[in-house]
Amino acid sequence: MDEQLNQAPCGFLTLSTEGAIVSMNEMLLRLLGYRRDELVGQHINVILSNSARVFFQLYFIPMVTQKGFVEEMYLSLATNHQSEEIPILLNASMNESSRHKLIDCAFLPMQRRNDYEDQLLLANKVAKDALNKKQIALEELEAKQDQLIKINKQNQNELQLAKKIQETSLTDAFTNDRMQVESYYKASKELSGDIYGFYQINNHQYGVILLDVMGHGISSALVTMSLQSLYQKVIPKGMKPASVMKELDSHLHYLFHNDEEAWHYCTAIYLFIDTEKHTIEYINSGHPPAIYHDKNGRQEELCATNPPLGTFEGIKYNSKTIRYAEGSRLLLYTDGVSELIGYNYLQDLLMKSRNAVSQMKEEILLELNQKENSYYQKDDQCFILIDLK
Amino acid sequence: MDRNIVARNNVTIKGKGSQPILFAPGFGCDQSVWSMVSKSFEQDYQVILFDYVGMGKSDLGAFDYDKYSTLDGYVQDVLDICSALALKDVILVGHSVGSMIGMLASLRQPDYFSSLIMIGPSPCYLNHPPDYFGGFEKEELFGLIDMMDKNYIGWANAFASTITNDAEHPEVAEALEDRFCSTDPVIARRFAETCFFADNRKELPKVTLSTLILQCAEDVIAPTVVGDYMHQQLPESTIRYMKARGHCPHMSHPDETVELMHNYLEERKSEKIGGLT
Repeated sequence: MDEQLNQAPCGFLTLSTEGAIVSMNEMLLRLLGYRRDELVGQHINVILSNSARVFFQLYFIPMVTQKGFVEEMYLSLATNHQSEEIPILLNASMNESSRHKLIDCAFLPMQRRNDYEDQLLLANKVAKDALNKKQIALEELEAKQDQLIKINKQNQNELQLAKKIQETSLTDAFTNDRMQVESYYKASKELSGDIYGFYQINNHQYGVILLDVMGHGISSALVTMSLQSLYQKVIPKGMKPASVMKELDSHLHYLFHNDEEAWHYCTAIYLFIDTEKHTIEYINSGHPPAIYHDKNGRQEELCATNPPLGTFEGIKYNSKTIRYAEGSRLLLYTDGVSELIGYNYLQDLLMKSRNAVSQMKEEILLELNQKENSYYQKDDQCFILIDLK
Repeated sequence: MDRNIVARNNVTIKGKGSQPILFAPGFGCDQSVWSMVSKSFEQDYQVILFDYVGMGKSDLGAFDYDKYSTLDGYVQDVLDICSALALKDVILVGHSVGSMIGMLASLRQPDYFSSLIMIGPSPCYLNHPPDYFGGFEKEELFGLIDMMDKNYIGWANAFASTITNDAEHPEVAEALEDRFCSTDPVIARRFAETCFFADNRKELPKVTLSTLILQCAEDVIAPTVVGDYMHQQLPESTIRYMKARGHCPHMSHPDETVELMHNYLEERKSEKIGGLT
């Protein structure tokens, strides 16, 4: 080996085709901390790290044997006594000029470049891991969303069924030679906090009730159903308005006794109509006034006579009675109607319209629809129209 | 013949004989590692060479990350080739992990094969003290995989393989014709993890075929103690200790490798004839 190569600023090594060290330059000996006689004749494994030994067999030997050269191979060398690993870049070529084939290898230590590459690889790994985690999180989120949609659909189905049940509890419109009743009922959500009922008590007495439980949705609807099951028993018995209201009031107090969280109150109006005496006996518990309109155009408001049901315990209910003339008309409604189209509109409509109650119902609906398009509907709507013949 | 499999695994068929001899490469490189050995079989045998999916000139598009996450994926490649070529009584020559892939293939379809020749085999590279010494600690294998990450042998191809899907630029594909040991780094890493952490020790006693083990001297990947373990566990095996040092005698010492293979196959032949008389 000439002196220039011996002292060149790179490691130089010659191997047999099997990997035995034939010769090496001074620079490499210094780098690894060996004497020449310690390495010559040894297998190159002696100066390779454990991983590099395997890599050398897997890639170096096949490549140099098959192609005759190796370029830019990264390996790590082990110094004497295995005290340190030195990352190097290796170029090699098969030298066939001598009697035996030999492999010439040149090494360049690359400690700093290696540190830099380690950091790059680490950063790459961190980025990949983060990407994977994001992907997993995204998939989990999608699964959760699917689950939610499924649950929501189940709930929707349940609510639709509940809506049907609630609507079944409403009494149908009826007409006879004494009176004609029309009604309208629409929930803001699936279930409504409004409820009504009309009952023929005997051949000349009728009971008409309209309730609006505070709030809307499932909890309010449950209260309406509870109240409905009660009034549908007591009204047909012909109980006086004061007794009917007392029953409903007591029932609410009983339901929410000592439970402020669940507490619901309700406004209600109950009319006890006698077609022989031509009287309407009523109690209005905090409900918007019903409008009485006679055929001469005189209107009377059936205003609140009491606070809402379920508010103060031990209230005494006193009814009021008015006489009605044949051909008069009554309109009962909840605040979901009057707040949308206005009390004045209802008054005017009764005043102007000579149409039958069924047509008048359509007129109110038209107005409600128009107003609904411009406002966000948030309350349940219900009204009852009665023609007293 | 199923042309899809032939193209997928870049199957090459040579030789004048009728007895098929199938060469399964080890980790990392393509079928050209066999060139110095396979030639001497072309006179009397049907020589079949191939690349695993992901290696050499195989169809990279057929690489399935899940399928090739266990050796079974590569075993299936071998079985597909036997089936596509309607091979029977194949002599399977495997190098390193190729010999394990061949052995697992023979367990799944014994009819396809007549004998196994294993060069530098190891059923398990990890040490399992106190009974088994595979040669490696887990950290050393991870270190090896890290070293692969820092060798950009396959990088040019990783980039180019995406371009070559473009049918309008066949010249790019031509420039890459010579892949040899350069594999897409993602695929190479997968193969490395699959190979190096495989444990097939339990399969060894189930092998029914006659097996030749060629054990190199000073092999850091498959040490002699592992070759002896193989010999002891395989029911019908012969072991030959080679003068060749290292892990690739088929490349570094093709003459010795060929001679030992021929000797074994001759012995097998005369045994068979002996058995018939």
